[in-house]
Amino acid sequence: MSSEHLGERLSALVDGELGPAEHESALIHLAKCEACRFEADMTRRLKRRLHGLGEPEPDLDFMGRLSSLDGRPGGDGPGPFDPPFGGGGGFGSSPPLGSSRPIGGFPGGPGGLGGEPLAASAQETAGPATAAPGAPNPGTATQEDRGGSDRGGSELLSQLLNPFAGSRYAVAGAAVVTALLGTAFVAGGEAEDTPVVEPRLADYAVEHAVTSRHIPVETSPEGYEPPPGAGVEQAGR
Amino acid sequence: MSTEDPSSGARRPAVAVLFVLTGLCALLLTSAVHPRAHEVPAGGDDDGMPVLRAAAEAEGETPYAAVRQVTGPDGRPYGLRVVNRPDEGLVLAPVGSEDEPFVVEASQALESLDDRLLQMLRDTYRVADAGHTDLGGRPARLVEAERADGTVAGRFWVDGDSGLLVARTIYDQAGDPALSSNLTQLELGEGEWPDRAETGEPWGEALDAQERGDLRSEGWKVDEHLTWNLRLVDARATEHEGHKVVHAVYSDGLSQISLFVQRGKLGPGHASSPSGGYVGTEEGGTGISPEHDTIFGGDVGQYQSMWQADGFVFTVLADAPAGLAGSAVTALPSPEGSGFWARVERGLSRLGPL
Repeated sequence: MSSEHLGERLSALVDGELGPAEHESALIHLAKCEACRFEADMTRRLKRRLHGLGEPEPDLDFMGRLSSLDGRPGGDGPGPFDPPFGGGGGFGSSPPLGSSRPIGGFPGGPGGLGGEPLAASAQETAGPATAAPGAPNPGTATQEDRGGSDRGGSELLSQLLNPFAGSRYAVAGAAVVTALLGTAFVAGGEAEDTPVVEPRLADYAVEHAVTSRHIPVETSPEGYEPPPGAGVEQAGR
Repeated sequence: MSTEDPSSGARRPAVAVLFVLTGLCALLLTSAVHPRAHEVPAGGDDDGMPVLRAAAEAEGETPYAAVRQVTGPDGRPYGLRVVNRPDEGLVLAPVGSEDEPFVVEASQALESLDDRLLQMLRDTYRVADAGHTDLGGRPARLVEAERADGTVAGRFWVDGDSGLLVARTIYDQAGDPALSSNLTQLELGEGEWPDRAETGEPWGEALDAQERGDLRSEGWKVDEHLTWNLRLVDARATEHEGHKVVHAVYSDGLSQISLFVQRGKLGPGHASSPSGGYVGTEEGGTGISPEHDTIFGGDVGQYQSMWQADGFVFTVLADAPAGLAGSAVTALPSPEGSGFWARVERGLSRLGPL
């Protein structure tokens, strides 16, 4: 074995897939064979570089279109593909549906809504997971760092929208008031069948004069001079 | 780390509760006080009622002729020549214009109205027999109508010989005479009856309680009370050009206020339409508007006003103190405006509680 190069066993050595005896003999061969030692070194470097690449980022437009197909604002609960980060957030803090951004922003971003299934889809789209379930995702830190600037933009947008968080209620209230005013305006209109009348004031005056045993007002005289000393007040007690 | 005083958060609810309690106390204090102490029926012995009932009976039995002097709030009296024939009616003619008489024909409706007026007088005021006095050199019996606060709202003088009611004065809240009438030159016996005269009698269609209720359900404003002291004492209806007109008489026993209600609206050329306000006597009973040539009253306390509201045209004619007539007008729907908010307000009132 020492006279032969390691060949395909070299990659198995680098991946740690050789048995104890084969692993020991391979290490003895590497100590003697400079060519195999050089090749093993290059294989380890390549492996580290591949590991350092991390997860590819999902295409944002694709995620936006994908989310628009999903009518539900969030999942029914934690699923098998749930990422280790949560996506809780308040209602109304997410971008509108159909935008180029995934609902709830980037996974792990504040105010995310329904980020769990989208993150799972992203992993599936990108290929097999690079870490076993339950194991730390080596790409997580890198991805979070890279999404920091975008998450900052999402936070800034949320802060801009926060002053208008109650505007939904204001708009709803304004709509109710407008509807009420409109209804009242319509109801306050004059009926089509309301007749135009001119009250017969002369007849009213006569009727009033009859019930009050008086003379109709339009015939009240002017310039009458009463007899002297005829006032009631003068005759009173 | 917050720089806010942690105790300020606890003080806010306390301040809010203090404000609420203060408001509730103010509400209780203001609601517990009666707006005006005299706005209640006066109690006490109405020992003056028999005197007035006897005078009413004498009016229906005794023919006479006299001159009635009527004085308004301005103190300027005018005279009416009066001839009373119980079986035929009452002739009224302005002194100096006796060829323009007006005859109130005798009717059972007017007799029953007199009974209700006396009942309303008793219900509203304390009708006290103030004893014997003299009026123009003739013996008379004085009856006073007193308010709950003891002030005099009206005085009646009953002639000691004939038993006729020969004088009456209505006082406003300040105690000033608002309207008075006085019979002078009284002569018992049948006076001269005119050959030609304008006649009048109450509209024929009397409205009973059931009919008034039906009208109210149709939106007519024919309330049983306008204010605490103005009760409906008579309601009648007639038709003008096919449209029903209701005449409701409200009284406190001393004054009469006629309310005429007609469904419809005033024409665009009517004086009250552009302004959306009253036409007629201004607030306080003075300054009769010259904008409508058919509403003119003498300066004898007659209060006249006309306006439209809620699809009806209201007309008020009153021989009453301006304050009483004003309270009646205020109790009725206000004149409607023509602007946006007036229409919205009208619509809200029509919609009622949603």
